[in-house]
Amino acid sequence: MVTKRFLILMPMLVMVFLFQSYLWVPTYEEQTTGNPDRLYQYITPSLGDATSLNPIISSNSTSSQIESLVFEGLLDRDEELRFRGRVARSWDIFEEAYFYVNSGAPVPAAGFVDGPGIVQFIETAKKKADSLPPEVRETLRRIQKIVLIPPEERSVVKALKSPSGNQPVRKIRVHIQAPARIKMTLAEINQDLFTNLSRLLGEDYFTSFDPVPFVRADPSVDRQLLARWAGELLPVTEHNPVIVFHLRPDVRFHDGRILTAEDVRFTYQAVMDPANLSPRVSDYEPVKTVEVVDPLTLRIVYKRLYSPALATWGMGILPKHLLNREALRKEARMLGRDPDTFTMRQSRFDRHPVGCGPFQFDRWESDQFILLKRFNGYWEGPPNYHRYVMRIIPDLLTQEMEFYSGTLDSYQVQPHQVKRLEKDPRFQCFSGTSFGYTYIGYNLRRAPFDDVRVRRALGMAINVDHIISYVLYHQGERITGPFAVQTDYYDHRIPPLPYDPEGAVELLNQAGWKRNEDGWMEKDGKRLEFTLITNSGNDIRKAILAIAQDAWKQIGIDVRTDVLEWSVFIQERVNKLDFDALVLGWVMGIEPDLYQIWHSSQTHPHQLNFVGFQNLKADELIIKIRQEYDHAKQVAYCHELHRLIAQEQPCTFLYVGKWTAVLDRRIVIKDLEQNGLMLYKKITPTKTGDYTFHFNKWIKLAEMPQFSEE
Amino acid sequence: MLSFIARSIIQKTITLFFVSVVSFLIIHLAPGEPSQVDPLNPKFTPEMLERFRQEFHLNEPLYAQYIHFYKDLFTGRIVSWKDNRSVLAKIWERFLNSLPLFVVGTLLTWTLSFPVGIRSAIYRGGLYDRSVTFLAYLLISIPGFFFAYILIILVVTTLHVPVIGMETFGLDTSSWGCMLMDRVWHLLIPSILGATGGIAVLSRYVRSQMLEVEGQDYVRTAKAKGLPPDVVHYKHALRNALLPFVTMFGLILPGLIGGSVIIESIFSWPGMGRMAYEAILARDYPIILTVNFISAVLVLAGTFVSDLLYLVVDPRIRL
Repeated sequence: MVTKRFLILMPMLVMVFLFQSYLWVPTYEEQTTGNPDRLYQYITPSLGDATSLNPIISSNSTSSQIESLVFEGLLDRDEELRFRGRVARSWDIFEEAYFYVNSGAPVPAAGFVDGPGIVQFIETAKKKADSLPPEVRETLRRIQKIVLIPPEERSVVKALKSPSGNQPVRKIRVHIQAPARIKMTLAEINQDLFTNLSRLLGEDYFTSFDPVPFVRADPSVDRQLLARWAGELLPVTEHNPVIVFHLRPDVRFHDGRILTAEDVRFTYQAVMDPANLSPRVSDYEPVKTVEVVDPLTLRIVYKRLYSPALATWGMGILPKHLLNREALRKEARMLGRDPDTFTMRQSRFDRHPVGCGPFQFDRWESDQFILLKRFNGYWEGPPNYHRYVMRIIPDLLTQEMEFYSGTLDSYQVQPHQVKRLEKDPRFQCFSGTSFGYTYIGYNLRRAPFDDVRVRRALGMAINVDHIISYVLYHQGERITGPFAVQTDYYDHRIPPLPYDPEGAVELLNQAGWKRNEDGWMEKDGKRLEFTLITNSGNDIRKAILAIAQDAWKQIGIDVRTDVLEWSVFIQERVNKLDFDALVLGWVMGIEPDLYQIWHSSQTHPHQLNFVGFQNLKADELIIKIRQEYDHAKQVAYCHELHRLIAQEQPCTFLYVGKWTAVLDRRIVIKDLEQNGLMLYKKITPTKTGDYTFHFNKWIKLAEMPQFSEE
Repeated sequence: MLSFIARSIIQKTITLFFVSVVSFLIIHLAPGEPSQVDPLNPKFTPEMLERFRQEFHLNEPLYAQYIHFYKDLFTGRIVSWKDNRSVLAKIWERFLNSLPLFVVGTLLTWTLSFPVGIRSAIYRGGLYDRSVTFLAYLLISIPGFFFAYILIILVVTTLHVPVIGMETFGLDTSSWGCMLMDRVWHLLIPSILGATGGIAVLSRYVRSQMLEVEGQDYVRTAKAKGLPPDVVHYKHALRNALLPFVTMFGLILPGLIGGSVIIESIFSWPGMGRMAYEAILARDYPIILTVNFISAVLVLAGTFVSDLLYLVVDPRIRL
């Protein structure tokens, strides 16, 4: 019977054909023995795909991981988190400060003084500084040069929007007759310069300067508006920090072109170009000018004191010759697109980047892998690996399986697996603290969270150590403030809140909350109750929700909980400030700039200080930290701020997670010693736990290495 | 016949229009914004959020956005918000990746279900039938992701070979045969997983259809006049039992574009399902809506094709 035989034979044949393919697939061992080239490849997994490989456009972690290998910034951080030159060989930071001569304010012991007189006055004070207070003396010591800028006349055009917004924008010409101005060059940046100078020149020398008489405009312009413009156009004092970068002469892009200061300036301009919609605009907004002094020297002047500035130059440098206007126009014409609307975002460069990093781009298959080749012309010498492959595997369990089957060289271990994999002789294990903490934030605008005693009590009622041991399998550590634990900005002397439910009850009693007969805390006939929310999709936060609810119930607080979908959570609750308390996390950078998250000006809807923390002292410290260029001083301010926030407890800081990564044990560091001998070393993490710091020297060996005990 | 085709095309175009409106509305009513607009990133200033919204036309009224979208779609200029690549090119690329999975899965389903179901029906109530029934229910009820994990762990820990992705990574062999077989191997497990549910369900259908037909008078007549059992089962009974499956064949067409989110994510297979799923997470409206639109077209085309097939195979039906 033909039909019957066909029906039985067909599936048999299909199955046999499919299953025999097993015989062709290499096993774990065969992959390296049968294919020696495999040892020169590093294959690493990623949960998500990259979006764009242009460093000024992308903002997700996969993209930046690839970009850090393909591109190179002017500088990065070394093992101790200090700045280290990359494309830049060295840099100088100094300051140019300006102030307008205020001929209307009397200078102590000199009377009304004009421009040359002020220069003379400061010069003299500098010579006879011994009798002055130490901080003023210090400030004067830093002043290297004082120049008088004669009065000048200029005019600018200001746009005036009609209040109703339906009339066209009016252009108004403003004439400025600027008075003489003093320019000082300081060897080091000093944010207290003008405060200290005013001790010489008179308390109100700067504050009494009125810029309005020096500005003229059409009489129809409102007086107040003109005064505001005058303040903007003639700022009485101005700090202009300057960074001069000296570039390495031997840095080449992957296409062979030498990298020059022009490329750096182009990268800056590309970020600031509105057409590119770069998410990094805020980093470079304080930049006033970027000037190419010569092909290897770059002078960057800032509008104001902004100490996170140096770190922003770690961004990858784009090749100007591939992305300038002519190149883009040419590309647009080739693709048949309108050259006028064609931007970097549409360019092929987005998916075929060319940088000057240790690896050059080879191939990108969406949702599959990104392949990089080593760049032989890398200025620091090419890496040992010939290829770098990032595979996109969206599932953790399959990542683990691929790691076991030898087609991945590293794997980020989940907390519950750490104990098991740490002991596995096939692997080497690294762990460190992550840059991010989890917290319970309170809406300080609402009662009872406006009382610090209540916030403290809430924090003391929760046993964070239990959370760390049972929810995180010990893969976390306590945190007391908003700075990254690995940096010196974090003050380790500040003790975490103790776990003390009785103390918490006592604090609540002090705040006026008493237990009623049902056992609930009550004040003025109102029960202490609120809702604690978090986003769905994060099991750890959900567990914390339950733990906190239970812990607070124990001390008589009636807490309801709610888990919301992420976008609802953000749009409806967080952005609209409609919550009592929430469990959330912040990712921290190394830079200690806390302006957006903790400054009181950022407490409005859709801003990031949604807990509503307002503290004058903290505001002042946040600004000072932002303006301080001296590391030691910055650390001191940070410690002060850390202590203040820990005292105020605007949120209960819970923990920072620990990550663990496993690598094949056969991966080692291969380095050339000075005597020309090859040296193999075990991979050791840096102080901050970064084990990939020496990645360019890694290599995989065919056999398991044996290291002598050190 | 011709009037039926014309009528059904008009009806389906109207349906398609409503589908496009409804899906557009649903996606815009759902909370969330494209992942490029990230309000919790401290580096994002309000002006930038505004610029992004403008760039994506998110500030315009819905009907204007609707027109923008479908104009771009029909002129083929539509690009993904995530990476600025042409949506149609992306879908085509992913479609080619999903296709082998779909073909092998369908092949397994349709070739295995028939012999299994027919045998069950012929030996109804026997040990074979019962164990197949048990197995079928087991396979229907086991969650796909769980089964996938079990299978992966088994294969990796016992056979020590890679199974994830479309090919073994870092395998640079010049042998053409090796490459092909490596790809077949990587296709095998996800397709088996994709097919299990289908086999379990389809073999049940085959069984019940066969049972129904086997109970008919003409089959009894065929048996009574002394025809060999194989001829009765495979010629007289099977032919008539096949009728409903012809129409089912038309309905597998939409499966082409849907892909399987779970299997593609677990096996990190760069297919359609995974792309659509990730687009939903990132609120990449152009991708979501285009995939939605194409699958609506395929569903409608599928029903149309099955209507026609029915017409061809069953002479009793006149439209």
